[in-house]
Amino acid sequence: MNGFIKTLFGDKRTLAVTALSILVTLAVLHSPVLLLAGLVLPLCLLAGAAYLAGH
Amino acid sequence: MTGILFATFLTASVEWVEAYTIILAVALSIGWRRALEAAGAALLALAALTAVGSFLLTRIHDLAILQFVIGVFLTLFGVRWLGKAVARGAGLKKLHDEDAEFAALQSRADIHDARAAWFIAFNGMLLEGLEVWLIVVALGVQTHHTVAAACAALLALGAVAAAGIALRKPLARVPENAIKFTVSAAVLSFGSYWILEALGYIWPLGDATLLALFAFYLLGGLALIRVYTAKLRATRAI
Repeated sequence: MNGFIKTLFGDKRTLAVTALSILVTLAVLHSPVLLLAGLVLPLCLLAGAAYLAGH
Repeated sequence: MTGILFATFLTASVEWVEAYTIILAVALSIGWRRALEAAGAALLALAALTAVGSFLLTRIHDLAILQFVIGVFLTLFGVRWLGKAVARGAGLKKLHDEDAEFAALQSRADIHDARAAWFIAFNGMLLEGLEVWLIVVALGVQTHHTVAAACAALLALGAVAAAGIALRKPLARVPENAIKFTVSAAVLSFGSYWILEALGYIWPLGDATLLALFAFYLLGGLALIRVYTAKLRATRAI
């Protein structure tokens, strides 16, 4: 069961990185610079991958 | 569709190679027949999970919700794999070594007990297969190509099994990290594309954006490997 949950959701850091990236993107989508959302999400996820690699 | 089949085939190849190492270690202990029985039982469980997962996801009739749910799962998977691949590429973590994994399995005391060994093979195949299951269901349901994605996964299983039968030793020369790196970039591309589309964002390049995203994650990941490698060298030099 643990393996199943970990495969679906990853660990706490992965969840936090993904949730934070989506929240930042949502904020950008509801701002005047909404067109930048297409750049913000990939950048946040790449930054998240960098964080996960270092931890 | 080609991208989806390619991503599924590569993901499945890496996972089946890891599963094969476990099955091989168990087979040398309790015999091929029992080890393959365990692997077959795990495959049946995975097939059932695929059917259930696909059924549940196809119950979601709102396309935006479906895209968002699948996008989030793919992103969770992709960002984890990209992080791991960068860490391994830069030398922050050891590369996955099938020979070492095989040796560790063979030194386990419980592998000589028929019942325990059967469960080692079953659990190994099931856990490695879960990531294949996730990719098959997520990519397949969203694009209505679940059967094709499952076939790509089975094709990868056939390729690994054929290589295993021919070599009868761990498949240590498979460039696992390079494959995981490529797959994570592909999976993240699909994930971020669908999340934003579900949130109402209109991609300026349409479907062609997927290629741009793939290139972005690949180049970004390579840049991260360079940064971390330089950082590691600098730390070692002190």
